[in-house]
Amino acid sequence: MRLEKCWFCSSTIYPGHGIQFVRNDAKIFRFCRSKCHKNFKMKRNPRKVKWTKAYRRLHGKDMTQDSTFEFERKRNRPERYDRNIAENTLKAIKKIDKIRSDRAYDHIKNRLKTGKIQRQKQARKQLEQDIHLVKAPLALAQDSSLHLPKITVNVSQTWTEENQPMEE
Amino acid sequence: MAVSFASRCSRVGRSLMGGLGNNFCNLPSTSSEMTCGSFLSQQQRTFIQMRTVLKVVDNSGAKKVMCIQALKGKKGARLGDTIIASVKEAMPNGKVKKGKVVYGVVVRAAMQRGRCDGSEVKFDDNAVVLVDKQGQPIGTRVFGPVPHELRQKKHVKILTLAGHIA
Repeated sequence: MRLEKCWFCSSTIYPGHGIQFVRNDAKIFRFCRSKCHKNFKMKRNPRKVKWTKAYRRLHGKDMTQDSTFEFERKRNRPERYDRNIAENTLKAIKKIDKIRSDRAYDHIKNRLKTGKIQRQKQARKQLEQDIHLVKAPLALAQDSSLHLPKITVNVSQTWTEENQPMEE
Repeated sequence: MAVSFASRCSRVGRSLMGGLGNNFCNLPSTSSEMTCGSFLSQQQRTFIQMRTVLKVVDNSGAKKVMCIQALKGKKGARLGDTIIASVKEAMPNGKVKKGKVVYGVVVRAAMQRGRCDGSEVKFDDNAVVLVDKQGQPIGTRVFGPVPHELRQKKHVKILTLAGHIA
Protein backbone atom coordinates (compact mmCIF):
# COMPACT_ATOMS: atom_id res chain seq x y z
CA MET A 1 0.00 0.00 0.00
CA ARG A 2 1.54 3.25 -1.10
CA LEU A 3 0.56 6.45 0.65
CA GLU A 4 1.07 9.51 -1.50
CA LYS A 5 1.20 13.15 -0.54
CA CYS A 6 -1.24 15.70 -1.91
CA TRP A 7 0.45 18.17 -4.24
CA PHE A 8 -1.49 21.10 -2.84
CA CYS A 9 -1.91 20.57 0.89
CA SER A 10 0.71 17.82 1.49
CA SER A 11 -1.75 15.61 3.36
CA THR A 12 -1.58 11.85 2.98
CA ILE A 13 -3.64 10.28 0.21
CA TYR A 14 -4.88 6.82 1.05
CA PRO A 15 -5.64 4.38 -1.77
CA GLY A 16 -8.90 5.07 -3.55
CA HIS A 17 -9.04 8.72 -2.58
CA GLY A 18 -8.69 11.84 -4.66
CA ILE A 19 -7.84 12.48 -8.28
CA GLN A 20 -4.61 12.65 -10.18
CA PHE A 21 -3.82 14.87 -13.11
CA VAL A 22 -1.11 13.88 -15.58
CA ARG A 23 0.42 16.75 -17.46
CA ASN A 24 1.71 16.22 -21.00
CA ASP A 25 5.32 16.14 -19.79
CA ALA A 26 4.30 13.14 -17.62
CA LYS A 27 4.43 15.02 -14.33
CA ILE A 28 1.77 13.65 -12.01
CA PHE A 29 -0.17 15.96 -9.68
CA ARG A 30 -2.06 14.12 -6.99
CA PHE A 31 -4.84 15.73 -4.99
CA CYS A 32 -6.40 14.44 -1.81
CA ARG A 33 -9.86 15.90 -2.42
CA SER A 34 -11.78 18.15 -4.79
CA LYS A 35 -10.94 21.18 -2.63
CA CYS A 36 -7.26 20.84 -3.48
CA HIS A 37 -8.02 20.00 -7.12
CA LYS A 38 -10.18 23.09 -7.50
CA ASN A 39 -7.53 25.28 -5.95
CA PHE A 40 -5.01 23.88 -8.41
CA LYS A 41 -7.35 24.61 -11.30
CA MET A 42 -7.71 28.16 -10.02
CA LYS A 43 -3.90 28.36 -10.31
CA ARG A 44 -3.46 29.15 -6.64
CA ASN A 45 -0.01 28.88 -5.18
CA PRO A 46 0.01 26.52 -2.17
CA ARG A 47 2.65 28.70 -0.55
CA LYS A 48 0.21 31.58 -0.43
CA VAL A 49 -2.83 29.67 0.79
CA LYS A 50 -2.87 29.70 4.56
CA TRP A 51 -4.23 26.26 5.34
CA THR A 52 -1.63 24.29 3.38
CA LYS A 53 1.42 22.62 4.81
CA ALA A 54 3.66 24.57 2.41
CA TYR A 55 2.46 27.89 3.81
CA ARG A 56 2.88 26.77 7.40
CA ARG A 57 6.39 25.50 6.75
CA LEU A 58 7.37 28.66 4.93
CA HIS A 59 6.08 30.97 7.63
CA GLY A 60 7.59 29.14 10.56
CA LYS A 61 4.32 27.76 11.93
CA ASP A 62 5.51 24.15 11.81
CA MET A 63 8.69 22.32 12.53
CA THR A 64 10.84 21.94 9.45
CA GLN A 65 13.90 20.21 10.84
CA ASP A 66 13.23 17.47 13.30
CA SER A 67 14.35 13.91 13.83
CA THR A 68 10.74 12.68 13.68
CA PHE A 69 10.70 13.38 9.95
CA GLU A 70 13.32 10.69 9.55
CA PHE A 71 10.65 8.10 10.32
CA GLU A 72 8.44 9.38 7.52
CA ARG A 73 11.19 9.34 4.95
CA LYS A 74 11.01 6.47 2.53
CA ARG A 75 13.13 4.98 -0.17
CA ASN A 76 11.61 5.38 -3.58
CA ARG A 77 14.01 3.64 -5.90
CA PRO A 78 12.48 1.10 -8.25
CA GLU A 79 14.34 -2.17 -8.07
CA ARG A 80 14.65 -4.59 -10.94
CA TYR A 81 12.82 -7.83 -10.17
CA ASP A 82 15.02 -10.64 -8.96
CA ARG A 83 13.53 -13.76 -7.47
CA ASN A 84 16.21 -14.21 -4.80
CA ILE A 85 16.04 -10.62 -3.67
CA ALA A 86 12.27 -10.77 -3.44
CA GLU A 87 12.48 -13.94 -1.35
CA ASN A 88 15.05 -12.50 1.03
CA THR A 89 13.06 -9.30 1.38
CA LEU A 90 9.97 -11.24 2.35
CA LYS A 91 11.96 -13.03 4.99
CA ALA A 92 13.52 -9.82 6.30
CA ILE A 93 10.26 -7.88 6.56
CA LYS A 94 9.47 -9.21 10.03
CA LYS A 95 12.82 -8.22 11.46
CA ILE A 96 12.89 -4.84 9.73
CA ASP A 97 9.44 -4.07 11.02
CA LYS A 98 10.48 -4.94 14.56
CA ILE A 99 13.61 -2.80 14.37
CA ARG A 100 11.62 0.09 13.00
CA SER A 101 8.97 -0.06 15.69
CA ASP A 102 11.63 -0.42 18.39
CA ARG A 103 13.43 2.63 17.14
CA ALA A 104 10.24 4.65 17.09
CA TYR A 105 9.45 3.50 20.62
CA ASP A 106 12.90 4.46 21.90
CA HIS A 107 12.68 7.79 20.17
CA ILE A 108 9.36 8.63 21.80
CA LYS A 109 10.64 7.48 25.17
CA ASN A 110 13.70 9.72 24.93
CA ARG A 111 11.57 12.62 23.85
CA LEU A 112 9.24 12.23 26.83
CA LYS A 113 12.13 12.07 29.28
CA THR A 114 12.85 15.80 29.26
CA GLY A 115 9.18 16.54 29.88
CA LYS A 116 9.18 14.34 32.93
CA ILE A 117 12.24 16.09 34.40
CA GLN A 118 10.68 19.47 33.77
CA ARG A 119 7.43 18.45 35.41
CA GLN A 120 9.27 17.24 38.51
CA LYS A 121 11.23 20.46 38.70
CA GLN A 122 8.07 22.48 38.44
CA ALA A 123 6.36 20.46 41.13
CA ARG A 124 9.30 20.93 43.48
CA LYS A 125 9.27 24.66 42.86
CA GLN A 126 5.55 24.87 43.47
CA LEU A 127 5.91 23.03 46.73
CA GLU A 128 8.61 25.39 47.92
CA GLN A 129 6.65 28.47 46.95
CA ASP A 130 3.15 27.51 47.96
CA ILE A 131 3.61 25.42 51.07
CA HIS A 132 2.53 28.44 53.13
CA LEU A 133 -0.99 28.04 51.77
CA VAL A 134 -1.23 24.65 53.40
CA LYS A 135 0.64 25.44 56.56
CA ALA A 136 1.37 28.82 58.17
CA PRO A 137 5.02 29.79 57.80
CA LEU A 138 5.49 30.21 61.54
CA ALA A 139 4.13 26.77 62.32
CA LEU A 140 6.26 25.35 59.56
CA ALA A 141 9.37 26.86 61.11
CA GLN A 142 8.50 25.47 64.53
CA ASP A 143 7.52 22.03 63.36
CA SER A 144 10.71 20.51 62.05
CA SER A 145 8.93 17.42 60.75
CA LEU A 146 7.16 19.39 58.04
CA HIS A 147 10.33 20.34 56.18
CA LEU A 148 10.65 18.76 52.82
CA PRO A 149 14.05 17.06 53.03
CA LYS A 150 13.37 15.56 56.43
CA ILE A 151 10.08 14.13 55.30
CA THR A 152 11.68 12.41 52.38
CA VAL A 153 14.41 10.95 54.54
CA ASN A 154 11.86 9.68 57.04
CA VAL A 155 9.71 8.09 54.37
CA SER A 156 12.62 6.43 52.66
CA GLN A 157 13.81 5.03 55.98
CA THR A 158 10.41 3.66 56.86
CA TRP A 159 10.22 2.15 53.43
CA THR A 160 13.51 0.39 53.76
CA GLU A 161 12.50 -0.83 57.18
CA GLU A 162 9.25 -2.10 55.81
CA ASN A 163 10.82 -3.57 52.74
CA GLN A 164 13.54 -5.52 54.48
CA PRO A 165 11.23 -7.76 56.50
CA MET A 166 9.15 -8.26 53.38
CA GLU A 167 12.11 -9.51 51.47
CA GLU A 168 13.18 -11.76 54.22
CA MET B 1 -0.17 27.27 -33.30
CA ALA B 2 1.46 27.20 -29.93
CA VAL B 3 0.26 23.69 -29.26
CA SER B 4 1.60 22.31 -32.50
CA PHE B 5 4.88 24.07 -31.89
CA ALA B 6 5.07 22.58 -28.42
CA SER B 7 4.30 19.07 -29.64
CA ARG B 8 6.94 19.32 -32.32
CA CYS B 9 9.41 20.59 -29.77
CA SER B 10 8.76 17.74 -27.36
CA ARG B 11 8.93 15.27 -30.23
CA VAL B 12 12.34 16.56 -31.19
CA GLY B 13 13.39 16.44 -27.56
CA ARG B 14 12.33 12.83 -27.16
CA SER B 15 14.01 11.80 -30.39
CA LEU B 16 17.29 13.29 -29.26
CA MET B 17 16.96 11.39 -25.98
CA GLY B 18 19.78 13.48 -24.59
CA GLY B 19 19.46 15.13 -21.21
CA LEU B 20 20.62 18.47 -22.45
CA GLY B 21 18.58 18.48 -25.64
CA ASN B 22 15.54 17.38 -23.71
CA ASN B 23 15.84 20.16 -21.17
CA PHE B 24 16.38 22.76 -23.80
CA CYS B 25 13.32 21.76 -25.73
CA ASN B 26 11.08 21.18 -22.72
CA LEU B 27 11.51 24.68 -21.42
CA PRO B 28 9.28 26.45 -23.93
CA SER B 29 6.99 23.47 -24.36
CA THR B 30 6.08 23.20 -20.66
CA SER B 31 5.10 26.83 -20.44
CA SER B 32 2.79 26.60 -23.38
CA GLU B 33 1.38 23.32 -22.12
CA MET B 34 0.65 24.93 -18.78
CA THR B 35 -1.45 27.62 -20.40
CA CYS B 36 -3.07 25.07 -22.65
CA GLY B 37 -3.87 22.77 -19.72
CA SER B 38 -5.40 25.52 -17.63
CA PHE B 39 -7.49 26.58 -20.57
CA LEU B 40 -8.73 23.03 -20.97
CA SER B 41 -9.51 22.61 -17.33
CA GLN B 42 -11.77 25.64 -17.26
CA GLN B 43 -14.56 23.88 -19.12
CA GLN B 44 -16.49 20.74 -18.35
CA ARG B 45 -14.80 17.79 -20.06
CA THR B 46 -17.02 15.07 -21.50
CA PHE B 47 -16.88 11.84 -23.46
CA ILE B 48 -15.10 11.44 -26.77
CA GLN B 49 -18.00 11.39 -29.19
CA MET B 50 -18.72 11.96 -32.83
CA ARG B 51 -16.80 14.99 -34.23
CA THR B 52 -14.30 15.13 -31.36
CA VAL B 53 -10.90 16.03 -32.79
CA LEU B 54 -8.02 14.15 -31.20
CA LYS B 55 -4.28 14.49 -31.41
CA VAL B 56 -2.39 11.50 -32.81
CA VAL B 57 0.61 10.68 -30.64
CA ASP B 58 2.48 8.13 -32.73
CA ASN B 59 4.57 8.21 -35.90
CA SER B 60 1.91 6.75 -38.20
CA GLY B 61 1.80 10.00 -40.18
CA ALA B 62 -1.58 11.32 -39.09
CA LYS B 63 -1.61 14.46 -36.96
CA LYS B 64 -5.26 15.02 -36.16
CA VAL B 65 -8.20 12.66 -36.40
CA MET B 66 -11.91 13.21 -35.89
CA CYS B 67 -13.92 10.61 -34.02
CA ILE B 68 -16.78 9.22 -36.09
CA GLN B 69 -17.82 6.29 -33.90
CA ALA B 70 -17.07 5.00 -30.41
CA LEU B 71 -16.96 1.23 -30.40
CA LYS B 72 -18.11 0.94 -26.80
CA GLY B 73 -20.50 2.89 -24.66
CA LYS B 74 -23.67 4.73 -25.48
CA LYS B 75 -22.44 8.19 -24.58
CA GLY B 76 -19.04 7.92 -26.19
CA ALA B 77 -15.51 6.69 -25.63
CA ARG B 78 -13.38 7.20 -22.54
CA LEU B 79 -9.77 6.63 -21.62
CA GLY B 80 -8.60 3.30 -23.05
CA ASP B 81 -11.56 2.74 -25.37
CA THR B 82 -11.28 2.15 -29.10
CA ILE B 83 -12.82 4.53 -31.61
CA ILE B 84 -13.22 4.79 -35.36
CA ALA B 85 -11.90 8.06 -36.73
CA SER B 86 -11.25 9.86 -39.96
CA VAL B 87 -7.88 11.47 -40.58
CA LYS B 88 -8.20 15.24 -40.80
CA GLU B 89 -4.53 16.24 -40.90
CA ALA B 90 -1.62 14.11 -41.98
CA MET B 91 2.06 14.40 -42.78
CA PRO B 92 2.76 14.50 -46.51
CA ASN B 93 4.74 11.25 -46.56
CA GLY B 94 3.25 9.16 -43.78
CA LYS B 95 1.73 5.71 -43.70
CA VAL B 96 -1.73 7.13 -43.15
CA LYS B 97 -3.25 9.57 -45.61
CA LYS B 98 -5.75 12.33 -45.07
CA GLY B 99 -9.36 11.24 -45.39
CA LYS B 100 -8.78 7.61 -44.45
CA VAL B 101 -10.95 5.87 -41.88
CA VAL B 102 -8.81 4.40 -39.09
CA TYR B 103 -9.15 2.68 -35.72
CA GLY B 104 -7.57 4.26 -32.67
CA VAL B 105 -7.10 3.70 -28.94
CA VAL B 106 -7.70 6.69 -26.67
CA VAL B 107 -4.49 6.93 -24.62
CA ARG B 108 -5.15 10.31 -23.03
CA ALA B 109 -8.47 11.90 -22.19
CA ALA B 110 -9.18 15.17 -20.44
CA MET B 111 -12.26 13.66 -18.85
CA GLN B 112 -11.50 11.90 -15.60
CA ARG B 113 -11.74 8.14 -15.45
CA GLY B 114 -12.05 5.97 -12.34
CA ARG B 115 -9.21 3.63 -11.53
CA CYS B 116 -9.48 0.16 -10.09
CA ASP B 117 -8.84 1.38 -6.54
CA GLY B 118 -11.50 4.09 -6.70
CA SER B 119 -9.31 7.12 -7.33
CA GLU B 120 -9.48 9.04 -10.59
CA VAL B 121 -7.07 10.04 -13.32
CA LYS B 122 -7.23 12.69 -15.99
CA PHE B 123 -4.90 14.10 -18.62
CA ASP B 124 -4.13 17.36 -20.33
CA ASP B 125 -5.58 16.61 -23.76
CA ASN B 126 -7.38 14.05 -25.89
CA ALA B 127 -4.89 11.85 -27.70
CA VAL B 128 -5.13 8.67 -29.71
CA VAL B 129 -2.79 5.96 -31.02
CA LEU B 130 -3.78 4.52 -34.37
CA VAL B 131 -4.20 0.74 -34.54
CA ASP B 132 -5.40 -1.72 -37.14
CA LYS B 133 -8.52 -3.85 -36.76
CA GLN B 134 -6.62 -6.50 -34.80
CA GLY B 135 -5.40 -3.92 -32.28
CA GLN B 136 -1.76 -3.77 -33.39
CA PRO B 137 -0.39 -0.22 -33.51
CA ILE B 138 0.34 1.20 -36.96
CA GLY B 139 3.21 3.43 -35.84
CA THR B 140 6.38 2.30 -34.14
CA ARG B 141 6.61 4.96 -31.42
CA VAL B 142 4.27 6.47 -28.85
CA PHE B 143 4.80 9.94 -27.41
CA GLY B 144 3.88 11.23 -23.99
CA PRO B 145 2.39 9.50 -20.96
CA VAL B 146 -0.14 6.68 -21.27
CA PRO B 147 -2.23 5.09 -18.50
CA HIS B 148 -1.45 1.61 -17.20
CA GLU B 149 -5.09 0.61 -17.68
CA LEU B 150 -4.21 -0.19 -21.32
CA ARG B 151 -2.83 -3.48 -20.03
CA GLN B 152 -6.29 -4.59 -18.98
CA LYS B 153 -7.56 -3.56 -22.41
CA LYS B 154 -4.96 -5.86 -24.02
CA HIS B 155 -2.88 -3.07 -25.55
CA VAL B 156 0.44 -4.18 -24.10
CA LYS B 157 2.24 -3.23 -27.31
CA ILE B 158 1.35 0.44 -26.83
CA LEU B 159 2.53 0.26 -23.24
CA THR B 160 5.92 -1.10 -24.25
CA LEU B 161 6.35 1.60 -26.87
CA ALA B 162 5.42 4.40 -24.47
CA GLY B 163 8.09 6.31 -22.60
CA HIS B 164 6.06 7.25 -19.53
CA ILE B 165 3.36 5.21 -17.86
CA ALA B 166 1.07 7.07 -15.47
